[in-house]
Amino acid sequence: MKQFARIFNFEIKYYFKNKIFIGVTVFLVLLIAAVMFFPRISEMFKNGDTQSEQAERPVMLVKAQDSDSSDFSEQEFAAAFGGYEVKATNEDTETIKDKIASGQAECAFVITGETTYTYYADNISMYDTNTAVADEVLQNIYRINAMVQGGMTPEQAQSVMSVGIEGSVVNLGTDQMKNFFYTYIMIFALYMVILLYGQMVATNVATEKSSRAMEVLITSAKPVSMMFGKVLASCLAGLVQLTAVFGSALLFFSLNRSYWEGNQIIASIFDMPATLFVYMLIFFILGFLIYAFMFGAVGSTASKLEDINTSVMPITMLFVVAFIVVMYSLSSGSVDTTLMKICSYIPFTSPMAMFTRIAMGTVAWYEILISVAVLGAGAAVIGVISAKIYRVGVLLYGTTPKISSILKAVWKA
Amino acid sequence: MVLEMENIEKSFGDKQVLSGVSFKVYGGKAFGLLGRNGAGKTTSIRILMDVFPANSGRVLIDGEPIDYGKIKTGYLPEERGLYPKKIIIDQLVYFAELKGMNRRDAVKAVDYWLDALQMTEYRNKRLDTLSKGNQQKIQLITALAHNPDIIILDEPFSGLDPVNAMLLKEVVKRQISDGKIVLFSSHQMNYIEEFCDSIAILNGGRVVLCGELHDIKRNYVRDRLVVRTAFPDRIKNDLNDICRTAENGDIIIKLSDAGEKQQMMKRIVENYDIDEIKVFEPSLNDIFVEYAGDEAREGKK
Repeated sequence: MKQFARIFNFEIKYYFKNKIFIGVTVFLVLLIAAVMFFPRISEMFKNGDTQSEQAERPVMLVKAQDSDSSDFSEQEFAAAFGGYEVKATNEDTETIKDKIASGQAECAFVITGETTYTYYADNISMYDTNTAVADEVLQNIYRINAMVQGGMTPEQAQSVMSVGIEGSVVNLGTDQMKNFFYTYIMIFALYMVILLYGQMVATNVATEKSSRAMEVLITSAKPVSMMFGKVLASCLAGLVQLTAVFGSALLFFSLNRSYWEGNQIIASIFDMPATLFVYMLIFFILGFLIYAFMFGAVGSTASKLEDINTSVMPITMLFVVAFIVVMYSLSSGSVDTTLMKICSYIPFTSPMAMFTRIAMGTVAWYEILISVAVLGAGAAVIGVISAKIYRVGVLLYGTTPKISSILKAVWKA
Repeated sequence: MVLEMENIEKSFGDKQVLSGVSFKVYGGKAFGLLGRNGAGKTTSIRILMDVFPANSGRVLIDGEPIDYGKIKTGYLPEERGLYPKKIIIDQLVYFAELKGMNRRDAVKAVDYWLDALQMTEYRNKRLDTLSKGNQQKIQLITALAHNPDIIILDEPFSGLDPVNAMLLKEVVKRQISDGKIVLFSSHQMNYIEEFCDSIAILNGGRVVLCGELHDIKRNYVRDRLVVRTAFPDRIKNDLNDICRTAENGDIIIKLSDAGEKQQMMKRIVENYDIDEIKVFEPSLNDIFVEYAGDEAREGKK
């Protein structure tokens, strides 16, 4: 136990004194700060810029069918195209074309009948929706005209066209819409952190082995203490980094809450319930451990640092498959499928699968309990096996041994 | 204190690495564990240090099974290496702590050894900024700082310049005179000869020779003569069948029986112009080649 504490101490210092670790954390926090303060800052600039912006709006020419409806068309188009300075015109088509070509106007609508028009523009961008908007405007004008002709006053016709519907939603289960984004972010964070730190543990072990520091270490400390010390230290480092990132996100969000009111997605992310956060923590720690142990064991079998990438491949694949299954169910919206139910009890997939089901579906408390218990037991078993592989692995130099021969050696040891 | 390896057997998979290895190491006397590469030295050392257990056999201290909680071991591995990117004092204290020292004692002990090995100026430097020889001295501290009862030094002199080798010799001699159990493993026979009172030679996982170096040499069959002369040709001509020339130019005469020794000496002294004649006493090198060489292994099979 004393030994474990010393190894843990030594390893945790490795992270907290590591310039890259600190650098990445600070960078992420700054990035989040930039994102969170963005609306506030852009608002500050906007206040000063409103006047000039209005003056710089591009010009849209509208040529009505006849001069009588010219004012009305201009009004309707101006209302529909807020981003343009809409000008009515009576010039002929050639002049309009010249104006567009010379840049005096950006585009023009020449209305040729009640339901027909020609759209002139210099460049039609991929996202140009002007014609669709114009279609709607003309449709409206047509309908209102038809209603007026049928005996309604223009005001009546207007109110018929602009009638609004009010509906309210009562949710009795989980609101997938609301939970989707933070579940997505959490799963993604879990994925990133486990892969990143898993690699770090594997590299760390392989470095000790290739620098031969292992020769002294293995005669000074028990493999189990070394494995658990290393993995738990990296787990804590990962947690600290996550806490720094999410904590600062929460802090910066609450500082700028008023500026984000309009954004449903961002607001929903920060409305995550506390119980879910606790589950997140449990599944993060256990999931992290189970994978970090495996990464550590694999790292111990590699003789050279270059071998690490190929050695960890099977574990990475396992993890990526789990990630894809969960992400697929998450984005398809059906998280309580049989596959997900099975996955939520298998230790390698349950951290992500069970968490997704808790967040997005309906899970009974005993299901969660069983899943956590299986995962916890799995992590402990994998930890002990990894320590055994580690003890055998670190003393094997030369070519990376086959999995079967390692397991055989572990079995005998 | 007496350390005893008793009938150790060890196999990795189908490969038998140690078969019935036994030897005794006495405190206050240096012991040399010799053998060619792959003879089983490192495996013996690892079993002794409890890195992995033996298939059968026991490790005893004063007749009792060794208690690793009480008996501390210090190890200088042949494959040197610590954390290259870490500050020297940090890692030395860490290793001492792993061996059971508390932080304050560890810092004190490490500082003492840094001073004793004239390395204090590197205390707060990164290990990879040091030369190879100096890194080795740092590594030696990991083997000694926690004041171990058993010290195992694998090739301690390789890579050291003569001044540092002298420094190390002094340190090791001090440890021996303090009554520690000191176990050497080396291929540099001159150092073993200088330090070790007793040796064991491993060959193919067996102890092929074990005992006091002094006795081993004395018990060696005294049936060879060494002749130093400026005119070797005449002797070689006359004694063509039984003599050969050693690397240093001496003539070595092999007698068919040790009893002929005196007679042959007399004959040579009377008939030839020689500078020196004596009974051949094997060096440890000769003994090693004889017992650990390929011929010895094949002969045993």
